[in-house]
Amino acid sequence: MTLAQTSISFDFIWDNMGIFLDGVRLTIFISIVAFTLATIGGLGVALMRMSKSRIVRTLIAAYINVFRAIPLLVFILFVYYGIAISFELQVSAIQAGILALTLQYSAWLGEIFRGGIQAVSHGQREAALSLGMSRFQAFLRVVLPQAFRIAIPPTGNMFIGMIKDSSLVYLIGVPELLRVSNRLANRTFRYFEVYLATVLIYLILTTSIYFLVKYLEQRYALIDVLTAKTRRFSLFGRRRAARLRDLQEKVQEHVVAAPLEMEMHEEFEEDEPEGQAGTPSARRAPD
Amino acid sequence: MKPAASADIPTRADPVVRLRGIHKSFGSNHVLKGVNLRVERGEHIVVFGPSGSGKSTLLRTTNLLEQPDEGSVVFQGKEYGPGLEGEKLARGRPRELRQAVGMVFQQFNLFPHLSVLDNVTLGLRRVKGIDRDEAELRAATQLDRVGLLNKIGSFPSLLSGGQQQRVAIARALVMEPAVMLFDEPTSALDPELVGEVLAAMRALAEAGMTMIVVTHEMGFAREVGDFNVFMDDGVIVEEGGREIFTDAREVRTREFIKAVL
Repeated sequence: MTLAQTSISFDFIWDNMGIFLDGVRLTIFISIVAFTLATIGGLGVALMRMSKSRIVRTLIAAYINVFRAIPLLVFILFVYYGIAISFELQVSAIQAGILALTLQYSAWLGEIFRGGIQAVSHGQREAALSLGMSRFQAFLRVVLPQAFRIAIPPTGNMFIGMIKDSSLVYLIGVPELLRVSNRLANRTFRYFEVYLATVLIYLILTTSIYFLVKYLEQRYALIDVLTAKTRRFSLFGRRRAARLRDLQEKVQEHVVAAPLEMEMHEEFEEDEPEGQAGTPSARRAPD
Repeated sequence: MKPAASADIPTRADPVVRLRGIHKSFGSNHVLKGVNLRVERGEHIVVFGPSGSGKSTLLRTTNLLEQPDEGSVVFQGKEYGPGLEGEKLARGRPRELRQAVGMVFQQFNLFPHLSVLDNVTLGLRRVKGIDRDEAELRAATQLDRVGLLNKIGSFPSLLSGGQQQRVAIARALVMEPAVMLFDEPTSALDPELVGEVLAAMRALAEAGMTMIVVTHEMGFAREVGDFNVFMDDGVIVEEGGREIFTDAREVRTREFIKAVL
């Protein structure tokens, strides 16, 4: 049968939406689980890549280069059929697929995160240390957040890649979106409708990642919440601005209310170490 | 209440920080060749000299961003670094010292991902463990003192260089340090922005803060420097009071001062 012989029917897609949605659910599940694990793995890879130990550095460089060099589809087949099935391991196709995706994406994300971490200037770490922070705090509070901001756009690209690559696990029998589409098409011969729907669904999924990345970039945009006029997703910004205005008022009240005491306070420090100890001014109240 | 203003006229017997026989090399480059320095409470020390003379390294060694190869930093009864033969004091951990020594950098080094307010609260909350409301009030009060209360919601990249450096000063001051270190704080600024930073430093000096300032601003040095140190080639060539700017003993000092004035 060819297209010419059957009339194109979009109702057909609606009628089978349940089947598509089952596949979509699994695609999203695999993508999110594998990407979350790969993010953790990637962070570990990045840190080990910058380790002081040369052995660790060399091993992790080997890991990165090996896993990036194998075609993903080949690797998925190897992990499931080559290892899990051959050695009769208790591993489902979904688990094998997630493992294969995680191992490869950890290598890619590791390099992205390392680039982000190394792009943060050395002075940032020094400034954090000079405040008395530990090296771990300096990394966690100062270096890492900046590295993440640098890494948001390329990481978003990787997430889009993950959604697309998750379709490859259909070859080991995981009933995700591509596999259910295939089955439906082969059963009904409505190739055009089915694959058109599949394409559109993938497009919707990846586009929503694009908006998520855009949101994150805005969420972490460096704008002054006190002077910014309009702001999309501005609930956070409005709450923050209100808090800061309260704070400004509080400080100004202290200053206006206590100019005399301030003078006394300064004299007290310079001239009379023992006297007037009872009135160290309202500005000192918080201590 | 700990440090801030000193009550007494500084006596030479009350050092806050002592540097003893500091040596530091980077590879084959011997940058500090046995430097000794006493910093008295409430004293304003100005360190000057040609570039490459080791003055920035001296300052960075003082809060242990660079570890001395020989000699030690003595602070609050504890000794940091390998120390000298014979005389050994209790050793301290660099973090203890850094919590009580504030530092202002040439390139400001503000945290670009944090708002101005959060730059100043970070140390209070994460190092001193002060809760958010209290930390924000103290930070905003400190920012008010450097004239930046209206910028608390802003980010470093939206500020001028002078404003950034004033935030950096507030960030260090809010930790209530016993000593403040300034590493060429105005060298990265456009000329018209130097004044506002020097004004903030002058106010701090007048309030009695103990300060070590590496600077090329000779006007500021002459005005604020109680004790002035001229360094060249890794050693202190000459040190003394204000008279160093008019009646230096050493030829090298005289030549340098003549060249920069």
